[in-house]
Amino acid sequence: MLFNSAVFLQFFAAFLLLYWLVRNSLAARNLLIVVASYLFYGWWAPERTPSLSESTNYALGLLWHCRFLGLLVATSLFDFLVGLGLAKLTTPRQRKLLVAASVAANLSVLGFFKYCNFFIQSVSTALDHLGLDVSLPTLNLVLPVGISFYTFQSMSYTIDVYRGQLAPTRRVTDFLAFVSFFPQLVAGPIERASHLLPQFQQTRVITRAMLEEGVWLILWGLFKKVVIADNCAPLVEIVYGNAAYTGPAVLLGTVAFALQIYCDFSGYSDIARGTARVLGFDIMWNFHIPYAATSPREFWRRWHISLSTWLRDYLYISLGGNRRGLGRTYLNLIVTMLLGGLWHGAAWNFVLWGLWHGAGLVAQRITGGSELRKTLRMLSWAGTMVFILYGWLLFRADSLTQVAAMTRALADFSFPPWTSSFALNLTVFSLPLVLMESWMTVARNQLVPLSLPTPVRSLLQGVMLVAIVIFWERKEVPFIYFQF
Amino acid sequence: MKSHIYEFEPRDLARLISGPFVVLTLFAVAMHLGARTRFLPTPRPVLDTDRTILIHQAEASRTKSDAEVLLLGDSSCLMDISARRLGEQLGQPVLNLGTFSFLDLSAHATLLREFVRANPERPHTIVLLMHPEALRRVGSEEYYATALASFLAGTDPRPTTARGQVPWLLGADILKSRLLSRALPLPLGGAYGHVYGFNRNLEASLAAGRGSIVDPEPKSFSGFAEYRLSPTLERTSKAFRAAVPPNARLLVGMTPAPESFAGPRYPTQRAEMLRQWSQWLNADAALDQLPATLPDSSFVRTTHLNESAVAAYTDQLAAALKPQR
Repeated sequence: MLFNSAVFLQFFAAFLLLYWLVRNSLAARNLLIVVASYLFYGWWAPERTPSLSESTNYALGLLWHCRFLGLLVATSLFDFLVGLGLAKLTTPRQRKLLVAASVAANLSVLGFFKYCNFFIQSVSTALDHLGLDVSLPTLNLVLPVGISFYTFQSMSYTIDVYRGQLAPTRRVTDFLAFVSFFPQLVAGPIERASHLLPQFQQTRVITRAMLEEGVWLILWGLFKKVVIADNCAPLVEIVYGNAAYTGPAVLLGTVAFALQIYCDFSGYSDIARGTARVLGFDIMWNFHIPYAATSPREFWRRWHISLSTWLRDYLYISLGGNRRGLGRTYLNLIVTMLLGGLWHGAAWNFVLWGLWHGAGLVAQRITGGSELRKTLRMLSWAGTMVFILYGWLLFRADSLTQVAAMTRALADFSFPPWTSSFALNLTVFSLPLVLMESWMTVARNQLVPLSLPTPVRSLLQGVMLVAIVIFWERKEVPFIYFQF
Repeated sequence: MKSHIYEFEPRDLARLISGPFVVLTLFAVAMHLGARTRFLPTPRPVLDTDRTILIHQAEASRTKSDAEVLLLGDSSCLMDISARRLGEQLGQPVLNLGTFSFLDLSAHATLLREFVRANPERPHTIVLLMHPEALRRVGSEEYYATALASFLAGTDPRPTTARGQVPWLLGADILKSRLLSRALPLPLGGAYGHVYGFNRNLEASLAAGRGSIVDPEPKSFSGFAEYRLSPTLERTSKAFRAAVPPNARLLVGMTPAPESFAGPRYPTQRAEMLRQWSQWLNADAALDQLPATLPDSSFVRTTHLNESAVAAYTDQLAAALKPQR
């Protein structure tokens, strides 16, 4: 189910009513959350096949739902049992074996669905380059929506229990609700068990302030998605869908993509947080004005925070972090970012994107960029933006061939005939974001609009609602991060 | 154990929700009022590729023009002929008002009437060109026919689906078609986006080509090469004829089909179809010198030629028209 769909509005309205009815029973609330979350998740279905009858389509849809829902339930139950097992086992060796088995099982499922074909195709290409004509079969796999998110969230539980940072839960519904909590199930934020799980075991208090925050975040998230991201998407397509590029076209297209991906993903995260706030839950901030960063390291403290901290805590530190000398620190950074890139998808451009950011972080460590940043703040910001924008080019390109062609085109300064139209669209759609985030930066508060007097805030929210209605497409546009 | 506690009053919730909805309601009322009182400009819904072309051609039909030769027809007329090149060949200004096969001859007749109303002394020659695939269609698609009729009437088309009613009622469609479409260039999707970029660039290309453009979207040959005249064609042909001013000559032709797709018997069939259609139209001449088929390599899809073939075919049309002047 998409947040930006009419069906979600109906679902959420019905859910809120049921949620109010179960307010006196914690067990009933968690059960309701599990059932609703599975319905939310299972609503995702492939396009209907026109050649099939309605009933056949319906039956196929049900099968489709059950298949991927089954995977989510199985992953959750497996990690729940691992948690209980870790509590029972006493010797460090047994505990280590069990957590290793859990991590291996989770990564195997993720690897099978996400990387199997990529691996087969890469081996096939490599053999082809070696002159060996071997035809390897690829599997016709569909990536279950949100698998990268819920797998990492579930893994964080078993690792935290293993590390002794969290007591395992004994109530299965609490755990199932933690893994499948619908506001953040399919595209994060990737929550830590130590933060979210205890909330399912407590009475939640929903205050007026939480409600106001929730409504604001839902509206602002929808505005970013529907008004900004979805209007930048066709701009990006004009450049990236083309075969002929020039420097200004690549630059404009990449700036549009930077806006699109940020507003798409942070919009989702805001709606997720807002929805959770309305229900009395607190999920983490996933973004903190990332394009204000003045260095690659600062960017990663502001961008997809739940993933970057996950990678830091469970991968970078496990590899030794910065405790084993400079050389090893650089290697750990590169490996962590490379795997972070690969987490996004099974393609070489994601690997390259990860390497690019890893190299940026290493370069910053080598040059000790923090002093420079303090003295030449604007220059550092501009340099960081160039670095990030080229990273987005690597991320968005369909192939390495396109990366090479676009990189070469940067030296061609001819302007396409549509430059002014493109620039006008980009200005119009980026302006609300720039104004809002400048205000947030100056106020050092992402919720600064809540400090406005009620009538002014209502007016602002009303204007945002009007803009959402105007640009609400009749065919919903899925969030980019659903594919990861 | 209690699950959750609500520490706010129902009126807090009502106040929170009602504020934005009051603004939305005021906006909707303002839009409908603005449209009804004609305070807002008339709709110009150039909101996608198809409507950009349709609205441009409809506007061109209402504009003062120097065209002596007017081309009318489906998308093969729009994209298989270069009006500028044809004008140069004939030594007379040519305007192309070709649109789509989604519209039938009654819609083309409407464009012709609009043109004659705006240019009573013109044109001397009207060339009606259709692809054989378009001739088997029974009528206009409602969506496009409504879009054209609403634009010419200066009204907002009412959505036909229940889902489309919501943005219309909330005033979103009115804002988009009356203000936003004028203020902001719209990026086009697919191959049109890659080649033309935005609707304004496509309109500029149409204006520069005197109503002609080149199809930028190659597609494999699809559909059936089962060509026939629709049972409604006789009626709509007569309606079209009625729109032709008495001092103008009506010439009719059929645009080419790919050789291998149409099959070897098609040229004979085409001759018969053209004769019958020309008779229903009471045309002054049928352009039977034009080739029924062209090599497959000349096409980007079954109905549209590629850029180099457009030039060659335009020259053939010019040669066919010269004796008719």
